[in-house]
Amino acid sequence: MSFTWPPDLYFLIMLSPINTSWRLARLYLRIADWSLIPLYFLMVVALYGAFLYAPTEREMGEVQRIFYFHVGAAWNCFLAFFGVFLGGVAYLITRKRSWDHLAASCVEVGVVFTTMVLTTGPIWARPIWNTWWPWGDPRIMTTMVLWLIYVAYLMLRSSLPEGETKYKYCAVFGIIGFLDVPIVWFSIRWWRTIHPVVITSSGAELEPEMIHALFVSVIAMTVLCVTLVMLRMAMRLNSSMAEELTHS
Amino acid sequence: MNPIALTWVLVGKDLKIEYRSRQAYLTTVFFALLILVIFNFAFDPGSPATREAAPGILWVALLFPGIIRLNRSFQVEMEEGTLYGLILSPADRGVLFLGKFLANWLFLMVVDLLVLLAFVIVYNFSFSIQLLWIALLIVLSALGFSAVGTLLGAMVSTIRTREVLLPVLLFPIILPIILPAVSGTQEILLAQEIQSLGRSVELLLAFDVIYLAAGFVLFDYVVAD
Amino acid sequence: MPEPSVPLLRLSKVTKRFGVIRAVWNVDLEVSQGDSLAIFGPNGAGKTTLLRIIASLTQPTSGEIEFAFKGDNQSRNRVGYVSHLSLLYNELTGFENLLFYARLYGIQEAHDRADEMLAKMGLEEARNQRTGEYSRGMKQRLTLARALLHEPQLLLLDEPYTGLDQHGSRLFTEVLRGLKQEGRTILLVTHNLGEGLELCDRVMIQNRGELVFQALGEHLDKSGFEKLYFQAVEGERTE
Repeated sequence: MSFTWPPDLYFLIMLSPINTSWRLARLYLRIADWSLIPLYFLMVVALYGAFLYAPTEREMGEVQRIFYFHVGAAWNCFLAFFGVFLGGVAYLITRKRSWDHLAASCVEVGVVFTTMVLTTGPIWARPIWNTWWPWGDPRIMTTMVLWLIYVAYLMLRSSLPEGETKYKYCAVFGIIGFLDVPIVWFSIRWWRTIHPVVITSSGAELEPEMIHALFVSVIAMTVLCVTLVMLRMAMRLNSSMAEELTHS
Repeated sequence: MNPIALTWVLVGKDLKIEYRSRQAYLTTVFFALLILVIFNFAFDPGSPATREAAPGILWVALLFPGIIRLNRSFQVEMEEGTLYGLILSPADRGVLFLGKFLANWLFLMVVDLLVLLAFVIVYNFSFSIQLLWIALLIVLSALGFSAVGTLLGAMVSTIRTREVLLPVLLFPIILPIILPAVSGTQEILLAQEIQSLGRSVELLLAFDVIYLAAGFVLFDYVVAD
Repeated sequence: MPEPSVPLLRLSKVTKRFGVIRAVWNVDLEVSQGDSLAIFGPNGAGKTTLLRIIASLTQPTSGEIEFAFKGDNQSRNRVGYVSHLSLLYNELTGFENLLFYARLYGIQEAHDRADEMLAKMGLEEARNQRTGEYSRGMKQRLTLARALLHEPQLLLLDEPYTGLDQHGSRLFTEVLRGLKQEGRTILLVTHNLGEGLELCDRVMIQNRGELVFQALGEHLDKSGFEKLYFQAVEGERTE
């Protein structure tokens, strides 16, 4: 454990009845800790893969390289939002605060990744489709609706006072938000699709090197996502423990 | 008391209260009419472009009054703490949800159909049997809207910033039903053919079923502390 | 009916936190059938929260609540709750309000029951008047009627005297005394010593979430209690 705990506080926590929470926080931090070195290497390899190893796309040119980060981020925003759903359901069933920590941390990380998807998307789309924001693409639209839903989630979170009610409301909203995903998808696919087969066609044209680069990039992003979630969860757990220590 | 009778007791109570405070009801309808007129002023009324956009305008005019309605629906229950009266009773929480949802749905349908009537006149469309299809779309989307809205309305009713928070939470969730509703309306009004209307209805139904079930199950968590 | 020796309600180590604030702290409490208990405390002592926990309107953070009610655990059917809000619809008449709640509680002959309660509270004349037009005293009596519709064994009262004039509060006390004689259990929380002492056999003081004092009313010297109350409440503040 490289994270600095002042030794006196450390001692206090060991004596307190909440040291199971402390163990949990230590576990989160340990996972984050252990993933840092592989994450570093994966990132370097992913960067190498995206910029040097993968060949330049024939028609799209260099701008196509953004695709490796875009796809990685997109996959992870769905992963994170699934975590929100899972955390919400588990919280309502068990009423264990750590599930709320999971949901809240996943929303934050998910929104960051979604923002990344929504920024890299237009950068790529402008030269390729000649438009920043192709309203017709179901993926972009779904991502945008997701972004709106989970930013709304964060607003709900910040307008509620700390307490079980807050965790419960957020769990409920996380669940109904996630239920919306398939509906958004079909809705946009059926009514607004002007480019129905964008990724599928380019997917078929991918060189093996491109697939390798994409693969590494997705893995690196996933590890990054998990690490960030763990750090946020540990932060949440620590702050709730600090609260209890100062007020009990 | 059996759940169905109990649901009607709850609905009857809400409708009676709405009838006694017609003011709020009329305000909602009036607001919807204003939206129709504002869009008419904002665009060139006679131009074909406005006619193209008309279905979208109709749905905007249907959405915003809905928010007013939902806010009011729980404001009534908060004024004298009657929401606690409801949840203290032995009535099943799911039934409480259904009662509130049905009242909201009925209310919205009445407002929406009045708005549709006004829309046809203000935007110079002709009265025909086709309008029944639009009415169907309205009924279905009002159902889903009330289901999610009742759940979220109950949730935000205790929060100080509820008036702003409700649309912020509700609109992203109901975004996907706007597409089928608007394009269905477009087909009916402008293309005079109803090929893919079935799909609109399908998607709206899916939305309705998912959120009605979710509301029924989750309502317990948003009212009980 | 539970045996008189068995407590109707038992709270053990009940605690409720709101974030970092402790509204109710480590409360142990037993209430027996037929008890009338008053809990006094200054504003913010956690009285209302304690009552809400007993009414099952809110869950305690830790601790346990047990009811002695037999049957299908229907504690909601056995508890009547008078909050500082009226829980009545202003747009409905007195009769409609009672009828609605009677149906909600699944009472047979809901019409008769609603009329009966109106008569009991002396509100027949205001039967068809909207409760929004009621005076404070009438409304408070209707609130009580609402809470008593389903014949609860345990009646929870949260500051029921707020806003009542002297005449109104005397009337209200009469009604409560009648209920006491019927053998109903009453739990009253208030910051007003006079009314509570007049009505209740047991008194307690809650301060900063904790129950700090309890005594039986009959052994109590009223002016002495007042002194004691201020000591209990302020003693801690000056520390």
